Amino acid sequence: MEGINLAHLGSGLAIGIGALGPGIGVGVLVGKALEGMARQPEATGTLRTTMFIGVAFAEAIALYSFVIAILLFTK
Amino acid sequence: MAHPESLSPMAQMFEEFDLTTEHAQHIFGINFEPLNHVLKQLPIPFDISVNKAVFIMWLSAFLSFMLIFYAGRGRGLVASGLRNAMEALFQFVKFDIVDTNLGHEGQKWLPFIGGLFFFILFNNLLGLIPAGFSPGSNINVTASLAILVLFAILIAGMKKQGVIGYWLHLAPGGLPKWIYIILYPIEVISLLAKPFSLAVRLFANLLAGHIVIFALLAMIILFGIYVAPLSLAFGVIMYAFEIFVAFIQAYIFAILSSVYIGASIHPEH
Repeated sequence: MEGINLAHLGSGLAIGIGALGPGIGVGVLVGKALEGMARQPEATGTLRTTMFIGVAFAEAIALYSFVIAILLFTK
Repeated sequence: MAHPESLSPMAQMFEEFDLTTEHAQHIFGINFEPLNHVLKQLPIPFDISVNKAVFIMWLSAFLSFMLIFYAGRGRGLVASGLRNAMEALFQFVKFDIVDTNLGHEGQKWLPFIGGLFFFILFNNLLGLIPAGFSPGSNINVTASLAILVLFAILIAGMKKQGVIGYWLHLAPGGLPKWIYIILYPIEVISLLAKPFSLAVRLFANLLAGHIVIFALLAMIILFGIYVAPLSLAFGVIMYAFEIFVAFIQAYIFAILSSVYIGASIHPEH
């Protein structure tokens, strides 16, 4: 019983703390991309494509912690 | 696996919610049991019997082939209806995903990248139909797709630089000799990390969306009927977001594969 509770606590902490960094990263990424688009509207297409790639990389880090959280939750 | 009594109510429901659909015998009214019986007798070390995920993958492969096939048969300058829709999607794959990353060699890789894009897209969209199943939310499916991409990266690089030249040029040149002892393993790990992150990204994105919808609806059972309007409303919002995720994940998988293949064809040294 004790172990299960600790595993659930750890699962919550894993996704909660793990989402912090990528959240900040995605915010900075999209903000900077928007800034660039506002300055140079003709570069919107390229900026959007590159932004999505960057967002995917940042998001992957949060998803690793999500996988850890699921592994702990179903323990 | 813990004993069921020691799990929390949510975790119990999570266990009962059959994520793998291993026991599905009737898939959309079709009985695959005779075929599965034959497939289980085959002298191979894996179980290749048909379950819902396999059926959905057949369906999405068939759909992506037939839709493009029929759309491609249209003639004339002005496209309309199905041909118009598929032409827009296909043009997006060709110009925005393949050609921008692979340059003039994009034509060779267009069938592979386009196949990946449409297969993953139809997989994701068919998984959103009630009683459907998203094969992408199983790590085995996404890992197989990512291993295909790994082979594509290796083959693209080896074709361009030769089998030995590719492995020699994996690490950038012009550095002191002793650095390569550290650098070469790092480059090999980064090569293997690419398909790993592709697989985990697609898998976790789809699984996360489905689990969020499941958790929202499970709250009705956990907290009583009074939370039903709220959790249904949020469920619908998440469902709409899932449609967006279905498109964006197919796009991300295709564009990252083409970025990786492009980096392998045009090494930066």
